[in-house]
Amino acid sequence: MLKIENLKAGVEGKEILKGLNLQVKPGQVHAIMGPNGSGKSTLAYVLAGRDGYEVSGGSVTFDGHDVTEMSPEERAAAGIFLAMQYPVEIPGVANSYFLRQALNAIKKARGEPEVSAAAFMKLLREKAAVVGVREDLLKRDVNFGFSGGEKKRNEILQLAVLEPKLAILDETDSGLDIDALRTVAEGVNRLRSPERSFIVITHYQRLLDYIVPDVVHIQAHGQIQRSGGKELAGELEEKGYDAMIGAVAA
Amino acid sequence: MSAATLPVSPRPPAARRPQAFVEPISSFAEAFLAQAGRLNGATELGDLRRRRFERFKALGFPNQRAERWHYTNAARFLNRPWHPAAAAELGSAMVTPYLAGGSRARRLIFVNGRPAASLSHVQGLPPGVIFKSIGRVLAEEPAAFKALLDQDREDDGLTALNAAFADNGAWIDIPAGVKLEVPLQLLFLTTVEAGPTPMTHPRVRIKLGAGAELRLIETHVTLGQSKGLTNLVGTVEIGKGASLTHDRLQLLSEGACFVGQLAIDLEAEAKLKQTIATLGGEFVRNEMDARLKGNAIDCLLNGVYMPVGTEHVDTAIRVHHLAPGSHSNQFYKGVINDRSHAVFQGKIFVEKPAQQTNAFQQNNNLLLSDDAEIDTKPELEIYADDVKCSHGATVGDHDPMELFYLRSRGLDRATAESMLTYAFAAEVFERFSDVPLKLLARRMAFERLPGGSALQGML
Ligand SMILES: Nc1ncnc2c1ncn2[C@@H]1O[C@H](COP(=O)(O)OP(=O)(O)OP(=O)(O)O)[C@@H](O)[C@H]1O
Ligand SMILES: [Mg+2]
Repeated sequence: MLKIENLKAGVEGKEILKGLNLQVKPGQVHAIMGPNGSGKSTLAYVLAGRDGYEVSGGSVTFDGHDVTEMSPEERAAAGIFLAMQYPVEIPGVANSYFLRQALNAIKKARGEPEVSAAAFMKLLREKAAVVGVREDLLKRDVNFGFSGGEKKRNEILQLAVLEPKLAILDETDSGLDIDALRTVAEGVNRLRSPERSFIVITHYQRLLDYIVPDVVHIQAHGQIQRSGGKELAGELEEKGYDAMIGAVAA
Repeated sequence: MSAATLPVSPRPPAARRPQAFVEPISSFAEAFLAQAGRLNGATELGDLRRRRFERFKALGFPNQRAERWHYTNAARFLNRPWHPAAAAELGSAMVTPYLAGGSRARRLIFVNGRPAASLSHVQGLPPGVIFKSIGRVLAEEPAAFKALLDQDREDDGLTALNAAFADNGAWIDIPAGVKLEVPLQLLFLTTVEAGPTPMTHPRVRIKLGAGAELRLIETHVTLGQSKGLTNLVGTVEIGKGASLTHDRLQLLSEGACFVGQLAIDLEAEAKLKQTIATLGGEFVRNEMDARLKGNAIDCLLNGVYMPVGTEHVDTAIRVHHLAPGSHSNQFYKGVINDRSHAVFQGKIFVEKPAQQTNAFQQNNNLLLSDDAEIDTKPELEIYADDVKCSHGATVGDHDPMELFYLRSRGLDRATAESMLTYAFAAEVFERFSDVPLKLLARRMAFERLPGGSALQGML
């Protein structure tokens, strides 16, 4: 479903991804771990099409299509979703309204009928219950004044409503307390399906105890340095990056 | 927001060069001659009005060389052949969309400058509360109105022009200790029947005794693309520990000009929360002079302006900290589009006794077109040494990260941009105390946004 080959990309003339390879099959969960500044968020932004993130080499194909020239909204319509490390606050725009606009924009782009306000509210309540978002947050403005944890849960709510084929979670676990982590992870697990893939970027093994990955990658210096099963995360927790990546580099 | 203690800066000379003012065209004298005998209180105030008209002629209209103006040639907008507005009847259906404050609110509604008794509702307020038109004040106790005019500033032509013609407006008195539960609304409407070039000169006088509370809503509307000049002068006195929230919404047509000056005096522990939204008008000037005369005052001035086309909107604020330990905050935002021009001049004075002052000011602007112009000039003048003051101004485009966030959720660029523009302004709408007014402001804001009609579902 997602095939990244020798991807070179950067921002403001600085190359950050230096020949990155990654393949994600339908239904798989891939975890990416790696030191600060290794380019994990950059990869996420490049996949989602953020302005200013230039691809200078290699390829990204999603369902067989080259996505590198697509706008962020086209990628959203194609089924790519990024839960951001720092979700943006939008005062003045109600959460529920925003999500309905987003869902209908995606449906419209796909040539599907739009969802009525009433039907949407029903859907939204169901999804909010699944991912543990309190109802009052639906009426509030998007992320505005939300706590760090509430923002992260709200990202997962958006994921649940928009039902992408590929969901990228950039440090969704950071800032969550232990209970919130469990609810968010349970939400994600309920959204797992044979058609939906996940890339989970995290610094902590703990999240991967809840969302059990099929593959774990260690990213450093703009490349995937090592890949393995879920036990790689535990090994990393134990030994630290220096030992793990050093071993590869040596 | 960064806080900084700023060094003492010298007070600039009170320069007023003659060329900073423009002599009024003859139509003003003709209008005064025709009108003076017909104004409410003509007998009692005749002499005073004549003197004020002479003062107006001597002072004239300011242009950019005048110190308080600087970025606006007021004479260009104001020195035109205006004529006193003609009276008109208005059905209640025309007024309904602009009613605010809820069903229990008391209202004074002015049509073309005159109170419309059939539309207004001022009865049933607690004993001691006065809420009436200046027309009635002139009929019942003209001396009180005269005393008000006696306090006018002497250096301002527009104030003098107002004094020469003013025979209506609102008189509000909330006695000490009265916490008025129902809001009061002042609704000023101009209709096409007022004539092609009508002018009105409303006075607003508001007084809150110690510990009193008032929620005031002030709405200015031009109906059916009516044109005209509104030259408003207001005085606001907020007594010790009293609290005023003042929402002002301006919905003016392309041919409408508005100049409004408010002199606001606050005593110790008083609270003011003012929020102004300017959504239309060929030329709108909102001027506020707040004097913080005691300690523990909280003075919050919010505003948003969204000019389009060739509209010109000018905000001039002066906050004077005269006593120690008070707090003021100016929070203004602008969305400036097309070939419009916005001006924000905000000045904070901290006088020598006003130690432990906290005074802040922020003016953020979204410039949506290459041809639009914003002049923002935050200023501090500080004579006390133990103060916390900061000011800041930004002019920019949409935050790329915010735009990306919305687009990554599937919204196209145009929709994402109009949603962000709306959200930018909405931060100020949210500060309106009155919910119906807030909803009206939101709805009217959509009409000023590129692609805004697609957002109507947001309400
Ligand atoms: N706009 C930019 N201009 C220049 N350098 C940038 C820019 N954005 C990111 N970088 C740099 O790119 C590198 C990778 O950043 P990125 O945010 O992708 O790292 P990360 O792996 O997500 O780190 P973390 O674990 O801290 O979230 C960093 O060195 C960062 O400073
Ligand atoms: Mg990151």
